[in-house]
Amino acid sequence: MSELVQSLVRGLGNGSVYALLAFGFVIIFKSMGVISFAQPAFMLAGAVIVTYLVTGMNFFVAVLVAAVLVALLGMGVERAVLRPMIGKPVFVISIITLGVDVVIRVVVNAYIGLDVRPLHDPWQLDTVNLFGTEVQERYLAMFITTMVLVAILFVFFRYSRMGLAMRAAAFDQEVALAQGVSVGSVFSLSWAIAGALAAVAGVFVSTGAGVDQQLWIIALKALPVIILGGLDSLGGAVVAGLIVGVIESLVGTYGSGIAPWLGGEFALVTPYLVMMIVLMVRPYGLFGTREVVRI
Amino acid sequence: MSVRRIVAALAVPLAATLMVTGCRAQESTAPQTGKEGNKVDFGVTNEPCPEAIDKSKGCIYLGTLSDLTEGPFKALAVPITEAQKAFWKTVNKDGGIGGYEIDVTKYVKDNKYNPQIQNQVYQEIKPNILAIAQTLGSPTTAAILPDLKTSNIVAVPASWTSLWGVEDVVLESGTNYCMEAMNSVDYAVEKMSVKTVMAVHLAGDYGDDAAAGAKIAAEKRGVTFTDVKTASGQDNQGAAIDAIVSNKPELVILTNSPTDAAVIIGQSAARGFKGKFIGTSPTWNPGLLQSAAAPAIKALYLQSGPWQPWGADTAGHKKMREALGSVPQKNDGYTSGWVWSYPLKAALTKAAENKDLTRAGLLAAVKSLKEVDYEGMLPEGAGNYSGAPNDTVFRQSEIAKPDDAADTGVTVIEKMFTGPTAKDYNFTKPCYQ
Amino acid sequence: MTGTRLRGRPELYTSYKQDMALLNTSGKRVFVVALLAVSLVMPFSVDDDILQLLATACVVAIGAIGLNIVTGYAGQVSLGHAFFAAIGAYTAAVLSGDPDGRVLGFGVTEMPVWLLAAGLVAGGFGALVAPLAVRLRGLYLAIVTLGLVFIGQWVFREWDEVAGPPDIGRPAPIPTLFGVRIDVDGEFFTRVQKLYWMMLVLLVIFAVLARNLVRSRTGRAFAAIRDRDIAAAVIGVNLARYKMIAFAISSFYAGVAGALLYVIPQTFTPGNFNLLMSVQFIAMILIGGVATISGSIMGALFITLLPRITSELPAVLPFISDSATGGGITVVQVEAILYGLLIIGFLLFEPRGLYGIWVRIRNYWKAWPFSY
Repeated sequence: MSELVQSLVRGLGNGSVYALLAFGFVIIFKSMGVISFAQPAFMLAGAVIVTYLVTGMNFFVAVLVAAVLVALLGMGVERAVLRPMIGKPVFVISIITLGVDVVIRVVVNAYIGLDVRPLHDPWQLDTVNLFGTEVQERYLAMFITTMVLVAILFVFFRYSRMGLAMRAAAFDQEVALAQGVSVGSVFSLSWAIAGALAAVAGVFVSTGAGVDQQLWIIALKALPVIILGGLDSLGGAVVAGLIVGVIESLVGTYGSGIAPWLGGEFALVTPYLVMMIVLMVRPYGLFGTREVVRI
Repeated sequence: MSVRRIVAALAVPLAATLMVTGCRAQESTAPQTGKEGNKVDFGVTNEPCPEAIDKSKGCIYLGTLSDLTEGPFKALAVPITEAQKAFWKTVNKDGGIGGYEIDVTKYVKDNKYNPQIQNQVYQEIKPNILAIAQTLGSPTTAAILPDLKTSNIVAVPASWTSLWGVEDVVLESGTNYCMEAMNSVDYAVEKMSVKTVMAVHLAGDYGDDAAAGAKIAAEKRGVTFTDVKTASGQDNQGAAIDAIVSNKPELVILTNSPTDAAVIIGQSAARGFKGKFIGTSPTWNPGLLQSAAAPAIKALYLQSGPWQPWGADTAGHKKMREALGSVPQKNDGYTSGWVWSYPLKAALTKAAENKDLTRAGLLAAVKSLKEVDYEGMLPEGAGNYSGAPNDTVFRQSEIAKPDDAADTGVTVIEKMFTGPTAKDYNFTKPCYQ
Repeated sequence: MTGTRLRGRPELYTSYKQDMALLNTSGKRVFVVALLAVSLVMPFSVDDDILQLLATACVVAIGAIGLNIVTGYAGQVSLGHAFFAAIGAYTAAVLSGDPDGRVLGFGVTEMPVWLLAAGLVAGGFGALVAPLAVRLRGLYLAIVTLGLVFIGQWVFREWDEVAGPPDIGRPAPIPTLFGVRIDVDGEFFTRVQKLYWMMLVLLVIFAVLARNLVRSRTGRAFAAIRDRDIAAAVIGVNLARYKMIAFAISSFYAGVAGALLYVIPQTFTPGNFNLLMSVQFIAMILIGGVATISGSIMGALFITLLPRITSELPAVLPFISDSATGGGITVVQVEAILYGLLIIGFLLFEPRGLYGIWVRIRNYWKAWPFSY
């Protein structure tokens, strides 16, 4: 029983990180119709910035500053590299983001240096008693923070003027433009939000052991998540992130007992298998909008 | 289209190509005579090195293929490369070898830990080098091994897989992961009287090699052995942690990356695991002592190694510290880079004595090396390259424990030793095969 | 109707056959012949290291052509190309492997045999995947095919008998042609020279086949699906069937490319067939030119030669220190950054790819000396 609870909490914790990353992917997709391969670099950048800031200030302030800095970086990239590409084929733009990813990552790697960079987060590996089971605080922190951030963003999209503008632009760019929505600032804000969320996700994945160069690979796990949830569904990204996190964790815990021949790495491909199975039934993911087909 | 036009179309590019035919470097197989009557062919020039100390000397170029930007081993590769530069600079200051100085800075290439890129950059530098001062990684080195063999190019590996023990052109130093793990298990059985051993390892030559060694030792010592494969990545360690916590082995042999190891040790301890961990050298990074897992690491973790860490008290270590001066972060990558360079120096010296600094001459010199003077960094008897693998393989390793005060975070608690398992083991092929 | 050419009017077509011919203008004929001639004599004029890159580019170009068939012509974006390349590579390596080696092998080293087998097996897997494409579209399809890459990597990492130890890998296929091994230094030519010729000839064969395919009924069906699949279905194109053909052919090409890709390095690991490889194939056709065969080849050349170009650049630019590991930004970092920047810059300023540049140059000279 305690094993199950621990596994579930770990899954929810990791799943929240996937959800944050997926949320960023979906925001960018909704505004520009592009999958941004630069998210891994933003994530790594966020984590590394925190490891430098944390020596001089409170951890939470450091995270906030890092999120703002990466958000600015995201806006800069959008303005300099992606804005000129508006109207060009989406795959060309996606490949450009890949170039952005390489450039940012090489620079960030140079700042990681030789040693693993410690994060000095307040949770360390401390545990807390939850329903009679010792679970790690950091997973709870990931889950709660993610839920709060997601709630704030939903309120923002639902009630603020800019949120309305973003929804309008996502619905129909030209009509939104005609109604006086500044689509440019919508793009800018999308990249800023995606960057900030990636930075927070980066901080969370490096709790526990610190920052090393291979951290960026985790960001790729958001790809099956966004497809599973439905490319244009923000809620779907969150739900699918948690689902993938939990399934991955359960397979990791019980998979080797049930089917040892699958090997220790089977948990890594489960997100993709789940995604494929779900897509066979629902071709636009769990919550994605069905494309209206017209002749 | 008339025949005349076809002829014209063909003639122009053909003529153009024939004109530049001279550009193709002729692979001169005939050795020439260089400085001090040495026979030379590739990568040895009469002109001084770009950064020569004595301009009257010639230059021997050595190549470096390492993981310098995006690959997973950058944190080790950069200090290894720096230490080798310092090593050869010291050699040059001491008068070089056979009328030549040695350059390891001109042909440094980034292999990104990718076999295909490795092959490309290798081909790029191949015509200009005599030997390879560093080829980092096992899959990468395996990708150029056939060509090294046909071209008689000696290469110093930056990895400890037991595969290199059976290859002539590969000039490895110290023991391999397999025997290091054997010694660790022997040590734990003798000093801590453990009864159950688990190997938690990455797939592939690194992890599989150590796991194979641990298994052989466990069988020999009659202790229970379990084997858990794990993937790399901090959030992929759940299965391994579950296996450790539920099986409760008394000893875990870890072959991982540092952050993955920290996750495993920290979280197993958090979930009440009380057994010991012994990790192989690439599992360690001094930065782990700052991580969340530090208390658990200090309590449960020991570190095995093929040679002593940065701060050890030997003539070689001292020389290395002086040559490198103040480095930004002390790291045992430096130590390894320095140690790995000794046999190549010995081979070059021997080849120069034979007046044959050709690639074939260098390989012959390697094959005749019976002992290399590591200036105390490895004990006497290390560096034998002539004979069958079982006679030449080096079997000693050491055990260290985490220590905040030490330069690279570890101090030796058991000096270089050979356990009974490694001593009796008949080494004829890589352990994991 | 059989057309006859009018003297002095080379651009006047009197039949569809002339218009649809492979080389329908004399300019094209001259250019192709010249290009082939230069390519064939290349081994006499450049060093083996460059030649090896060019040989790799030829192989990669075969793969890129394959991707262009499914993505450029039929409009189904696939990020699974590396998976099909892996299938081809392992099929070929198992067939030609040493029967007494430590990994599975059957000792059939005759190159045409294993090459065909590699293509067919990969093509078979492509046909199996095609139903996904009938159900999914756009980015959904792209990410699902990406899933194949991850699953394939996992399978081959676990399957030691075929793929060897995960980080050591297994020997690549051995090419022999009519009993003669190609990948060994001969009396007159080095192995790289011989391999280059082999890859070049194969590229020409596969490029011509692809060119013929896309101007056939099947090719037109692909284009109809790409432009509007519902409309294509209405005019009688069987979507399921043609999507399956597109995937099967594309995967055939990927399998062939995968089988040949590691003949030069002689060893490969499951990790080679990763997301990066798939993405690079996509980058090749985007940079080269979507839905053009010549564009695929140009893109493959560009992406394969780019690392080499960036590694030469720092030598030309004086402000970069040539220390590879010293303080600050080092040469190797600059190389990696330049690689990223060149891709960004290229797509920013020439989104239509190398083919677009080529068309501009061609049109300029067509009208020369008038500007338009």
